[in-house]
Amino acid sequence: MQLPILESINLMAVLPVLIIAGWACVLLVFDLLIPRSRKHWTAWLALVGLLGAAVALFFQIGHFARLGSEAAFDGMVTVDGFSIFLQVVFVLTAIVGVLLALDYLPRHGIERGEYYVLLLFTTIGMMIMSMAADLIVVFVALELLSIPLYILSGFAGMRETSEEAALKYFLLGAFASSFLVYGIALTYGGTGTTRLTGIAQAVTSDALNLPLTTVGMGLLLVGLGFKVAAVPFHMWTPDVYQGAPTPVTAFMSVGAKAGGFAALIRVLVTAFPAIASEWGTLIAVIAGLTMLLGNIVAISQSNIKRMLAYSSIAHAGYILLAVAAAQRSENASFAIGAVVFYLLAYALTNLGAFTVAIAVERDDGTGTEIDDFAGLGKTRPWMALAMALFMLSLTGMPISGGLVGKVFVFQAALQAVPGDPLLLAVVIIGVLTSVVSAFYYLKVIMVMYMREGEGKAVLPLALKTVLAATAFGTLVLGIIPGPVFQMAQRAMLK
Amino acid sequence: MFEQYYPIAVLVLLATVLSIIVVFLSRIMGPRRPTPKKSAPYESGMSPIGPAVRRLPIKFYLVAVLFILFDIEVIFLLPYATLVRELGVYGLIATGIFVFILTIGLVYEWKKGALDWE
Amino acid sequence: MTITPITIAFFIMAAFTLGGSLGVVTNRNLFHAALYLVLALFGVAGLFVLLEAPFLAAVQVLVYVGAIAVLITITIMVTRRIMGVTESVNRQWPLAAGVSAIMAITLGFVVLDRFAGKLPVAAVPGDNIVRLGEALVNYDAYLVPFEVASVLLLAAMIGAIVVARE
Repeated sequence: MQLPILESINLMAVLPVLIIAGWACVLLVFDLLIPRSRKHWTAWLALVGLLGAAVALFFQIGHFARLGSEAAFDGMVTVDGFSIFLQVVFVLTAIVGVLLALDYLPRHGIERGEYYVLLLFTTIGMMIMSMAADLIVVFVALELLSIPLYILSGFAGMRETSEEAALKYFLLGAFASSFLVYGIALTYGGTGTTRLTGIAQAVTSDALNLPLTTVGMGLLLVGLGFKVAAVPFHMWTPDVYQGAPTPVTAFMSVGAKAGGFAALIRVLVTAFPAIASEWGTLIAVIAGLTMLLGNIVAISQSNIKRMLAYSSIAHAGYILLAVAAAQRSENASFAIGAVVFYLLAYALTNLGAFTVAIAVERDDGTGTEIDDFAGLGKTRPWMALAMALFMLSLTGMPISGGLVGKVFVFQAALQAVPGDPLLLAVVIIGVLTSVVSAFYYLKVIMVMYMREGEGKAVLPLALKTVLAATAFGTLVLGIIPGPVFQMAQRAMLK
Repeated sequence: MFEQYYPIAVLVLLATVLSIIVVFLSRIMGPRRPTPKKSAPYESGMSPIGPAVRRLPIKFYLVAVLFILFDIEVIFLLPYATLVRELGVYGLIATGIFVFILTIGLVYEWKKGALDWE
Repeated sequence: MTITPITIAFFIMAAFTLGGSLGVVTNRNLFHAALYLVLALFGVAGLFVLLEAPFLAAVQVLVYVGAIAVLITITIMVTRRIMGVTESVNRQWPLAAGVSAIMAITLGFVVLDRFAGKLPVAAVPGDNIVRLGEALVNYDAYLVPFEVASVLLLAAMIGAIVVARE
């Protein structure tokens, strides 16, 4: 009796999540016991937990290379290449999130152990998002991802901008969640199940369910579109990214976005293949709008955090294009590979860019204007070089991961439905907006090298490490993308 | 099938009717000769100082939030309580983990002093 | 359509819900809006009763009408300058009303399209609280969301304390 239960629960499959969850609880209690002046112990311990999860993930990679995919909890969660690949991204992002905060929090007088605990909790939410094979799990994971992020964006509570960011993010996030829940309710009403595979069967077997499930799918899209900051659900992004403490912005611009995309892809591809051309069209349109708005509004920004916020909207557009390309099942695995590759490249590049922003930021939260980067080319040549690389990668210039990501995305879109005018149009928009984006990305490089300025930056060891690692990663993805892309290709849904 | 709700319906009806009667009776029967002094908020017979509506301390909010969270915990456990025996050790482990995680929260807020009023 | 006591009860509860919701969004006084919210939440509890979901009705009364309404009133009372009538700061309400109307029509249409004139699929089992309890803890049903919910509550708890004690 006992053994079959354990087998179908399959705890080993969710081991990384369990490690982080357990460690977060231990850390919460431990943090109570250590004195106020030693809060960095919590940070180091959080790192230990994340590294433990990384080791577990490493073993899972080998395990799943042999087995393919595994279901756990009788199919409530699926552990496949897709979820493992994204979990690696999440754990790496969380490690960076801890390292970035290590010096930032005490410097800004907001060091509290809860930062690291909440960071671990939101990471669990993201990891479960990538495995969710049931709409209820998607919802609970989304909330677990979101609620700690609301708190973290208000972590510098004495700054009014941080408070505003938290409140705005929370109110709009709660609003978007309600759309998601309503979408789940309608889908359940139409199909009588919340399992993704069950929904797919019910939709194909009974055409009566189609209108209801289509509207349900639309509402789900609204809820997840908010998390990934797609137009027209992007309104919160600039204010929240600017107001939140910069390490939090760095973490959530990558993690929350990847979490949203993880659920979006799995839900659309697994549960709604019957209406694939409908959601494909819808997402392609959203992708086009998102690229246009993000890139065009970014041009006029003078604040680096705000500029990166609009840039993050723009990149959501490129990723959405690849999601739209997953509408035909023959092309799905290539498109999904493009999505996860792009997410990894974007994660490395964007985390790097925010690391530089943190180094330049002053202790009172100012120093986030692009003009503050003036003179860095002379005073901090290596850091300026890394920043230049990140900006080139975000634009999509050669020898950077950004270019390879964009090429894969466009290729996926072009071969999705050959001769489809809409996808072709969106690809053209994508190429043109990439050119437009050069304006504001290259402006940062120009300011760093061409303009005279103090060029002050604080670069402790933790930031140096992150900078070196992300720059190295961006270069590797740009020069030898083959191995990673092959891994991403295997990151199929099962 | 809705018979079990009849008492509630009667109660709601009774409460509505009674409160309407009480309010209107005092309207009709009581003498109403308001003066500025009389319509001022009552403050132990003294002239009122400051606005009648004061800002509450933030502690009330904290207590309210914590109350809701534990309220929800109870709601989650209630359905399980109906079949404790049937689910046996397995159910005990499943809900035990649930309760344990929230107990950590209790320890945390206790230590943080969120439960102290002063 | 035949009029039974149940349809009458439904219309009363629906009126509570809709009227209360309208009161919430149209009232300039936040405190009054909160009281209207209580009315709307109570109406929803009544609808749960009519749907033969007594447990959800009880949860609705305990958590929403009881706890959440109290939290909202307290939140209004701890906030400075928010008691009393406030100016309407929302200039986009016509747009919002338009979008809501379109949403309502779409949702109403698809729900009616699927369910209008149809008999219930199955009778409501009398023991649905027992079934819920089983579903929450069984590993082949909703054990994962159940356990994740406890982590979620823990995170919310930490969040509340971080926000309130600065």
